Amino acid sequence: MREEFRSTGEYVASEALMGSVNVAIALQKPLLIKGEPGTGKTMLAEAVAKSLGKKLLIWNIKSTTKAQDGLYMYDTIQRLYDGQFGEEGVDDIARYIKLGKLGEAFESEEQVVLLIDEIDKADLEFPNDLLWELDQMEFYIHETKRTVKAKHRPIVIITSNAEKELPDAFLRRCIFHYIEFPDAALMEEIVKVHFPDIEENLLKNAMEVFYWIRGIRDVRKKPSTSELIDWVNALQMGGIPTDTLKEKLPFLGVIVKKDEDLETVKHYV
Amino acid sequence: MFQNFFNALKNRGVNVSLSEWLTLQQALDEGLCESSLTRFYHVARSILVHSEADFDKYDLAFEDCFKSLKMETEVSAQMLRWLDKPDENAMLHEKDKEYLNSVESFEIDKDDVEKQFKQRLKDQDSEHNGGAYWIGTMGKTSFGNTGGNIGGIRVGGATGYQSAFQVIGARRYRDFRDDRVLTGRQFMTALRRLRQFSTKLDIPKTELDINSTVDRTCNNGGCLEIVMDRPRKNSVKLLLLMDSGGTMIPYCQLLNELFQSVHKSNHYREVKTYYFHNCIYSHVYNTPACENGDWTETEWMFRNLDKDFKVIIVGDAAMAPEELYARDGNYRGPNGGYSGQEWLLRLRRKYRRVVWMNPKMSPTPAPWREAETAIKEIFPMLPLTVAGLNAGMEILMQRQ
Repeated sequence: MREEFRSTGEYVASEALMGSVNVAIALQKPLLIKGEPGTGKTMLAEAVAKSLGKKLLIWNIKSTTKAQDGLYMYDTIQRLYDGQFGEEGVDDIARYIKLGKLGEAFESEEQVVLLIDEIDKADLEFPNDLLWELDQMEFYIHETKRTVKAKHRPIVIITSNAEKELPDAFLRRCIFHYIEFPDAALMEEIVKVHFPDIEENLLKNAMEVFYWIRGIRDVRKKPSTSELIDWVNALQMGGIPTDTLKEKLPFLGVIVKKDEDLETVKHYV
Repeated sequence: MFQNFFNALKNRGVNVSLSEWLTLQQALDEGLCESSLTRFYHVARSILVHSEADFDKYDLAFEDCFKSLKMETEVSAQMLRWLDKPDENAMLHEKDKEYLNSVESFEIDKDDVEKQFKQRLKDQDSEHNGGAYWIGTMGKTSFGNTGGNIGGIRVGGATGYQSAFQVIGARRYRDFRDDRVLTGRQFMTALRRLRQFSTKLDIPKTELDINSTVDRTCNNGGCLEIVMDRPRKNSVKLLLLMDSGGTMIPYCQLLNELFQSVHKSNHYREVKTYYFHNCIYSHVYNTPACENGDWTETEWMFRNLDKDFKVIIVGDAAMAPEELYARDGNYRGPNGGYSGQEWLLRLRRKYRRVVWMNPKMSPTPAPWREAETAIKEIFPMLPLTVAGLNAGMEILMQRQ
């Protein structure tokens, strides 16, 4: 029986997304997720880990991250210090090798879910540097002449905001899924997962305002799912009367983040 | 398996390689598609396509191959033209939908609608608007568009009601195609070409020069001597002049992207942005609103921004001839004694490198677009597309 990912109590996935996840698991290839900010790319990995009952390792990519950081680090400075003060075990280089997230995932005793978050933040060459490691699921530590090989192939989920184009060779090895912006029906479901006993009226009005704001052409930063959820939360806590949402636009700053967008929205009211 | 699908994808310009194709075969072997065409559509797409920009091409290729399986209906281009009535759609929404639906409300049987739809497709040979039998607009059969009947088959047109059973030929991913629109990313990649490294700038020496330091230290008998150097900086200065308002309103999103990209790629030595309306006269505006008063004198700009500034003008060059040629042609502000054309010529004399990017440039010489043709004589004009922008950047970087 194949392991399959399904929507969890907290995460609503579309049929197509579930399909892609399961294809990636079955074919043992990394799953590359793209989509508008706030459509739940990062949360997907959490949901997959939870649904399959596996541990989740997160490797957050920053603009300065190098591929090597994910494999291992050799802490030469520490060794130098230790050497000066005559600490014990200085001759044992292995003591100064620290595995990165990818290394950790390979060494894990059971299969894990590895999230490589926002891979496009890193340098243009970054994905290429990981090709071999993700293909073969192993790497070599020069200093100790040891090969770290995955005991269980981790389920790799990679997210990208499309800030940089990813290299072709890398893309060819991935299963690709683009998370589309949820339509009203799916959105309703998503909000209900977060607020199971939300008032129908509040939900209806909030969604209406939300899609209305998204529809305004001049709004630069379109609000996304996570902003709607925050807003609904704020509305509930504030006990705002629901029928005047559209006129009063309470807590507007929660969904509209830019000054000029606030102006635009007020202009259209 | 599906060799013709592979070829169709290639034909449509989806860059599929053999290794991905084999992966797809593996997925088929493992039964991941569960013998369902829809599942196959998604599985194959996730394996073969790596960017939402290619989804549309994939959809077209998929349609080429599996059309006959999907439904035995093909909506002809002719029919889509008959149905192309966006204005009526908006109007009808407001006025007639309640009326139409109150007249005839019944449970719709999906199969039945589909059967009738196919029959009509076969029989119909002319345009119909506002009837109760044929496929047309503003009618009350269960198919066609801008009709008041909720829950039928919508043929083409923008989505009015969400409830139509199927949207045939909607091509949902068309907007993602990269040959259609420029995105911020593409702007930034193109703008990256504007690079000219120089260390001969009058900035403080803040970077450690390792080679010289080692060298000097050795010469110094091992006593540390540190050498600092100026960081390598881009010396390009950019002046962005953007047409705003009027005929440019449809492009404001595009200009916004360009503006954002220029300011995000913060590797320029200096960036200045001004706005104008239709043509450049004695004043350039500080904001896209182009309000009189909130402006900068063009003369001041000439004096203070030196000739090394690389100038990108973005505008559609669509204006009345007098706006370009008459000395009082500026209908919303002062002319400053010169005609628009003379101002443009002065700009060309002042700056070494200027390009005019036009979002709606005619692809062929178009003498009937008088202003566009005249401005082409003054500045190199290029369409505001990926290729055009790249070519424009090349012109800006040419050496004298």
